[in-house]
Amino acid sequence: MPATIYRHSILVLLLVVLTALSAPAQQADAENCNLCHSLALLGIATPSEGLRSFEVTANAYRHSTHRNVICRDCHTDINVFPHPQEVAKVECYKACHITKPFALTGYSHAEQADAHAISAHGFNSEYSAEKNEAKPDCKYCHSNTFRNVVNDEALQESSQHCVRCHEGEGLAGVILHVSSHSGHRTAEASIDVVELCSSCHADQGHMKQFDVNLTQVGGYERHFHGKALKRGLNEVANCMDCHRNHLNLPAEDPNSSIHPNNIQQTCSANTYCHSDVSSKFAASAIHSEPTTQNNPILFYVEWGFIILTAGTMALLFAHIFLDFGRWVGDIWLRRKEK
Amino acid sequence: MSRDYTRFSLSQRLQHVFMFVPFIILVLTGFPIKFPESEFWSFIMSAAGGIENARIIHRFAAAVMILDFAFHILYVGYNLIKQRPSLADMHLVPNGRDGRNIIENLKYFLFLSDERPRFHKFSYLEKFDYWAVFWGMFIMAGSGIILWFPVLFSKFLPGIVIQIAYIAHSDEAMLALLAIIIWHFYNVHFNPRIWPANKVWYKGTLSEEEMEYEHPLELEEIKAREEASK
Repeated sequence: MPATIYRHSILVLLLVVLTALSAPAQQADAENCNLCHSLALLGIATPSEGLRSFEVTANAYRHSTHRNVICRDCHTDINVFPHPQEVAKVECYKACHITKPFALTGYSHAEQADAHAISAHGFNSEYSAEKNEAKPDCKYCHSNTFRNVVNDEALQESSQHCVRCHEGEGLAGVILHVSSHSGHRTAEASIDVVELCSSCHADQGHMKQFDVNLTQVGGYERHFHGKALKRGLNEVANCMDCHRNHLNLPAEDPNSSIHPNNIQQTCSANTYCHSDVSSKFAASAIHSEPTTQNNPILFYVEWGFIILTAGTMALLFAHIFLDFGRWVGDIWLRRKEK
Repeated sequence: MSRDYTRFSLSQRLQHVFMFVPFIILVLTGFPIKFPESEFWSFIMSAAGGIENARIIHRFAAAVMILDFAFHILYVGYNLIKQRPSLADMHLVPNGRDGRNIIENLKYFLFLSDERPRFHKFSYLEKFDYWAVFWGMFIMAGSGIILWFPVLFSKFLPGIVIQIAYIAHSDEAMLALLAIIIWHFYNVHFNPRIWPANKVWYKGTLSEEEMEYEHPLELEEIKAREEASK
């Protein structure tokens, strides 16, 4: 009977969903690395590096983004025991054994690493080794510590930012991601993004070596986006909303999200941002602090208001002071007469 | 015999109420965003129910205030057309007497004279209050509406107008708040001759003594008119 088939198919569907949901997470420590690496005293002492701990705090690891990735997926050249003394640093663009949800291809961060390589943050052959070293690599922004500080509340609020990292994947991609990775602590709260970017960009001493605007962070903080975000309005744009997550390019670059040709689209990139903006609107989205050079009109408007306010209040204060003085003086005179 | 003199009609008193109640709400919901790191304004912001609620309340209060101001403009326009007053009868228009009053008052403050200036219906202080709010309304409502609909306005106005509106709204708000809590409150509350409050804003009337002290010229004119019509 059709009704029975219908009922059965629902049951089957339910079973499939339940099985999928209850499937055990991939055993991250399948190779039992923590047998040794959970020991607090595990480490070496070398004359050059001093004490170096090899302890992996189990709790910190279990709550990190990479909790389902087995150790050797990233630490690729550890193949023998005892391990070699010199091992290569972890490279984020290497493929690991995690598969993309509902796909059989190996997962890697190559796409992100490629974007980063050609971005303003990537390696620049004209720069000295020291100057290149001063730029953020994958691990600077994506340290597990940074991920771990995100509490569940912030995660929920920032879930609207999913599309930021999954640009071009469309709604289906987002749903697949959310359904398979729900609970992963991968989305940062906007305020953390601003804090992360500010850790370099607000440091004038650090940024002076690069040819960038030193007032960007201050300009953002005095703009509505920066102020409202501090007050907890998470829908406002943070740094990455306009400057992208990996392909951060200077405004002069035609591929940049903030190039005059693209900025209009950037303002309306997310559905919760400004829809249907004009080129004039996009041209107003500057967040540097106005000076006589970069924005003379705004500079003088601002000073005009400061002078108007100070001048008006000075006159009003003087009037109050004189008025009150006469009142006090009258009392004093009357007492003297008595 | 002591009697009361009408100073503000019911309509005028209500116009004042519908101006200052939204003003207080606008300050409480706006300044926490102007000073996002201030602990004091954090307390106000949480009392308002967080920034998302505060933004809605702010716009509602703004709408009430703008409607009140629009009503005032119509009210003034209607009365100008209906009564066709001479310039001398438009008591809020600044004139030469204000200049003389300022000098007289300064002399009085500095004990160079014991004569207080004799004010008509509106002293130069009150005229300043009125025109300060008048100018402030255009700045605050104009910039506020632009910031409310920035995408719409930037379709026909250059982008810098939004930036100017942002600065104007924030800075003029500061000026308005300072002028109200320092200047206006001194004149109607903290002035020791007035303390604790000038009650005319809800009573609408002044006593004979108050008229004699604050608006002697007006009182003189009222009495002369009554004498003439007898």
